[in-house]
Amino acid sequence: MRILIVEDENSLMESMVSYLEMEGFKCEQAADYHTAVCVLDKHHYMCMLIDLNLPGGDGLELVKLARENDKESGIIIISARNAIEQRVEGLEAGADDYLVKPFHLSELVARVHSVARRTRLKGGEVLVFDRIRVQPEERNCFVDEKHIDLTQKELDLLLYFMANRGRVVTKEGIADYLWGDYGGDYGSYDFVYTHLKNLRRKLMEAGCPDYVHNIYGIGYKFSLDQET
Amino acid sequence: MKLLTKSTLLTATLSLFLFFIMGVIFFQVLKNMSLSTLDRELGDLKEVVEDHMLETDDYQNLSLPGIDSLVVLPVERPVQTGVIFGDSVMRDLKDKQFRTFRYLQFNKAKGDQYYLVTIFKSTNPTDKLVEQVTLMITLMVILFIAGIFILNRFIFGSLWKDFFEAIEKLKRFEKTKEPVILGEQDIQEFDELKRVLEVMTRRLANDYRELKEYTDHTTHELQTPLAVIKSKTDLLIQSDKLGAHEMKLLEAINTSVHQLSRLNSTLTLITRIENRQFTAEGEIRLDKLLDRHLELLHEHIELKQIKVEKHYNDGGRVILMDQGLADLLVANLLKNAIVHNSEGGTIILETGPGSLIISNDGPPLTFDKEELFTRFVRDTKRSGNFGLGLSLVKKVCETYQIIIEYSFEDQRHTFLLNLPD
Repeated sequence: MRILIVEDENSLMESMVSYLEMEGFKCEQAADYHTAVCVLDKHHYMCMLIDLNLPGGDGLELVKLARENDKESGIIIISARNAIEQRVEGLEAGADDYLVKPFHLSELVARVHSVARRTRLKGGEVLVFDRIRVQPEERNCFVDEKHIDLTQKELDLLLYFMANRGRVVTKEGIADYLWGDYGGDYGSYDFVYTHLKNLRRKLMEAGCPDYVHNIYGIGYKFSLDQET
Repeated sequence: MKLLTKSTLLTATLSLFLFFIMGVIFFQVLKNMSLSTLDRELGDLKEVVEDHMLETDDYQNLSLPGIDSLVVLPVERPVQTGVIFGDSVMRDLKDKQFRTFRYLQFNKAKGDQYYLVTIFKSTNPTDKLVEQVTLMITLMVILFIAGIFILNRFIFGSLWKDFFEAIEKLKRFEKTKEPVILGEQDIQEFDELKRVLEVMTRRLANDYRELKEYTDHTTHELQTPLAVIKSKTDLLIQSDKLGAHEMKLLEAINTSVHQLSRLNSTLTLITRIENRQFTAEGEIRLDKLLDRHLELLHEHIELKQIKVEKHYNDGGRVILMDQGLADLLVANLLKNAIVHNSEGGTIILETGPGSLIISNDGPPLTFDKEELFTRFVRDTKRSGNFGLGLSLVKKVCETYQIIIEYSFEDQRHTFLLNLPD
């Protein structure tokens, strides 16, 4: 569960490292191109987070280098540039995902999990949380062996929660994750509430306790504990 | 109206008017001149007649060269004093035509008998002369005007060549944003124009570039601090030590940062469109594009229980557009039609050859409809949006010369897009 983070903005680096370490990842840090090249083959990384705008070299080159070096790793580009061409360029260079700054740390973790899943295991993986079992590739969800019929968005939401279990995720973060450019700019988060309500209902109808906890209106926490 | 047409028309009107007045004056002068010549001849003839009357008594058959007709009437006493000139019309006995004559009338005493003598002279020859001269002059004038037109066109073309070149370069300035530099000018006014244009467009191009760089840098540089704030709040809300009050504060920060980053990315997008950075042109089917975005937005549509009516009548027409911009255009128009729709309202999509109509139910605008496409103009009661969606739409339309019109009737908002051929 080792992750390489290449990012020149120290403050952002610290945030990512603390959040990812809370999730149980081990983080290797590189603040510029050359350091990144040096640590590239030191370990096998489950996932590499690479900023495109780096001192000392082009991030895109680094992506190509990393891809040549390790075909199994997941690579996520984190960049302030949000043009389609740049996204395409990044993905063509060998990245698996492209995350635009500024992003929510919860979204980063969800993407890391998703990329790692896609590259490491070719299907067949089962994610477990308490009594819930999810097969992300087959898009199946079970509670105690009982199949639960979830819509695509509800399943995505559940996966997002499971990737960020025990963490507080904001409703903005959820909207961004579920809808990308289409989310958020309505001013209302009605869609998040609707999907959340349905997901909660379906899980509780299957006999689960309410895992989703409302945290002071700022967001939600998906956890076992009944407090808060 | 083109400059050449206008100048030709002006020259034509003015010269015709001028030549008409000159013609009238010329005709009058010529007429008077011929009349005075005639009168002088009549004066000479009077002396000849008087001489003859001294020699002979047979006045009735007096035939003298140069006189067309002579009438001598014996009168009891002088009818008038002095000499009278006049005009009269007589009928020719031979061909029964009316002819005009100039006559001279005077009294003549012979012994104690008085005579009233009238000498007639036909004006026919002089009239003919005046007629011919006028005709000739008119012909020359017509030739002259025609010559001037041809010359005018020729001179115009060569004189104003640089001017037209300047216009062409100015037109291109809108797209290229390169200073307009004209060649050497030998006409003083054009030389001035050249210098003024150069200074002006240089400054414009410079301002444009600086503004572009500024927005570019600002939006880009804002991303990193925003990312830092966002990530730090994400970390902070994980803390167990925070109470409800602190969380409320954090929520406010979180919401604002979120809005700020959306605002920033939309502004970046507008700048990029303005800088014409979307240049890839692909063939896009309007009906497919609309259907795809309706599918992406189906949750939003269902949540408000909106009914969508589709009337695709463009026969699967293909338009040439950048895919990203086409998405932006349709997405924002549809979003607008959903967000400002009433609960359970309808959206009507209509495509025709060269047009797209999107209309939705909804209450009237709370601001002037002229401001609809202006940045940051929005329904102030609705929080969370910036009023940038329609200004994005407008920018895309401008890029592709699409004319967009808005109207509000029977509680329906309608956007009509006229697509260029």
